[in-house]
Amino acid sequence: MNVRGVLIEDTFAEAFTMRAARLVITAASPRWATAAALKLTGFATSVIGCKCEAGIERELATTETPDGRTGVSVLFMTMSKDDLPKRLIERVGQTVLTCPTTACFDGLPDAPDRVGVGSALRYFGDGFQASKVIAGERYWRIPVMEGEFLVQEKFGMLKAVGGGNFLILARSAAAALAAAEAAVDAMAGMTGVFLPFPGGVVRSGSKVGSRRSKTMIASTNDAFCPTLRAITKSDIPDGVNSVLEIVINGIDAPAIARAMRAGIDAACRDGVVAISAGNYGGKLGPHHFYLRKIMGEGGPA
Amino acid sequence: MSDELVLTLRAPLAAAVDFSALRLHAWADLAPAAVARVEVRVAGAGLVALGDLFDVRGSKGGRTRFAGDFSRVEALGAGLERGEVVIEGSVGREVGARMRGGRISVTGNAGWGAGLEMSGGVLDVTGNAGPRAGGASLGAKRGMTGGEVIVRGSAGPEAGAGMRRGLVAVGGDVAEGAGRATLAGTVVVFGTTGPNPGQWSKRGSVLALGPVSPPATYRYACTYRPEYVGILLRHLASRRGLPVTHEHLTGSYRRYSGDLAELGAGELLVWTRD
Repeated sequence: MNVRGVLIEDTFAEAFTMRAARLVITAASPRWATAAALKLTGFATSVIGCKCEAGIERELATTETPDGRTGVSVLFMTMSKDDLPKRLIERVGQTVLTCPTTACFDGLPDAPDRVGVGSALRYFGDGFQASKVIAGERYWRIPVMEGEFLVQEKFGMLKAVGGGNFLILARSAAAALAAAEAAVDAMAGMTGVFLPFPGGVVRSGSKVGSRRSKTMIASTNDAFCPTLRAITKSDIPDGVNSVLEIVINGIDAPAIARAMRAGIDAACRDGVVAISAGNYGGKLGPHHFYLRKIMGEGGPA
Repeated sequence: MSDELVLTLRAPLAAAVDFSALRLHAWADLAPAAVARVEVRVAGAGLVALGDLFDVRGSKGGRTRFAGDFSRVEALGAGLERGEVVIEGSVGREVGARMRGGRISVTGNAGWGAGLEMSGGVLDVTGNAGPRAGGASLGAKRGMTGGEVIVRGSAGPEAGAGMRRGLVAVGGDVAEGAGRATLAGTVVVFGTTGPNPGQWSKRGSVLALGPVSPPATYRYACTYRPEYVGILLRHLASRRGLPVTHEHLTGSYRRYSGDLAELGAGELLVWTRD
């Protein structure tokens, strides 16, 4: 299968079940909502080293937020349901509570599973905190030097999907980067997904485990490292000199499939030889995104 | 015909009628004839079948509508757990008392103790409410513990007295003692707030959008815009149709802490354009 001369390899991306929350961060201006969101989602590229994965989903208009201010929607994921509240409490407490003018709300009000966030952060108020129940939802008011930080007591938790991906195999590093940027731009703002890595792009795709160390849970994906083509079992076709990966996490598999389709389509451009995907033989992750099916039929495998 | 049970007064009531023993949500399973056989206590006359007082028509399973002047009916909708009750006209004391869910709409006025000690649901009074709307029984410490009392007209003294949780929102004026001795909860007043709001309050909030004089036992803290007020007012505008203005949402609020003769964790928030 080809898209504008770019080979779509007959393979699939293997993804995992994660737990997700959606946070709505509002502030007096987009500047401060974004500032909080960027800090919240910083160092949240992979659960391997960050304990969580997070990213900005999209900006929100004043009509889309509970308090009528501008906001940012953030998706936040962990591998286990026990980890989600821990990481949320750490990060909201250190990055949103601290940021001028912000408030933090649940963006998954229909999710039946609820995890306490404001219910823990309230203790920062040292006994001066107060709560209000409005339309059945409890909000905590935590006094801070600026005024008051408002945070919802509980946040919805859903089963979600992490690790959707595709690889851009290009003739040069510049071509790979240009294609990756085009793919990220095409996926920007799509509802239900986020790209956890810097700028949405990964240059250091990993394989499970290590050839040398039993303690390493991940190491470089040597099969796709161009510099190692001559000395390892390489999966890089002739003419390819650089590979970049796009990792996509989403609220559900269809959201990831939609984003992959948009991203792959944008990445199929001059200088790109092929589009591939990372998997572990299908034995680790329950979600398999077959590239050709996504590009041909628009749905997940 | 819609799923609606309609009870129309046959003649003006000559004595007080006590509805406190009735659970209107249970009527969803009763046919009109069965409802007509339900007995209520009439002052001076003892137990009387509803069918003797009302023309009962319609069908079961939906909302219940009362038509007529119910000013002498007490505790109508008391203990309601679900469903919708519409009272077309005015109603007597303790309408919706101790209700736990559902919705009661009163197109006229409500008497003493509307929504007394309710814990859930919505009581919506188009006209005025008497004293102690959403409050506690006399001598009791605890008033509302949840739900909403919406009064589109004015409310009498001690609205929300003894509230533990919940919301009393008044579109007009409120007489003296709004939010008196509240443990928590919120009283919102769009008109003039009478003397001594929040007196003896521990953690309650009184949100005054009109003129108000802070009690002597409240102390000014700062002027700011609490974010929860925006959420609350948007809720009252969009879900309850109360007259929230753009200025209410964008203005600032003078915060007074009190009652300093009590815990002092309560607040009087006074809207200001500045």
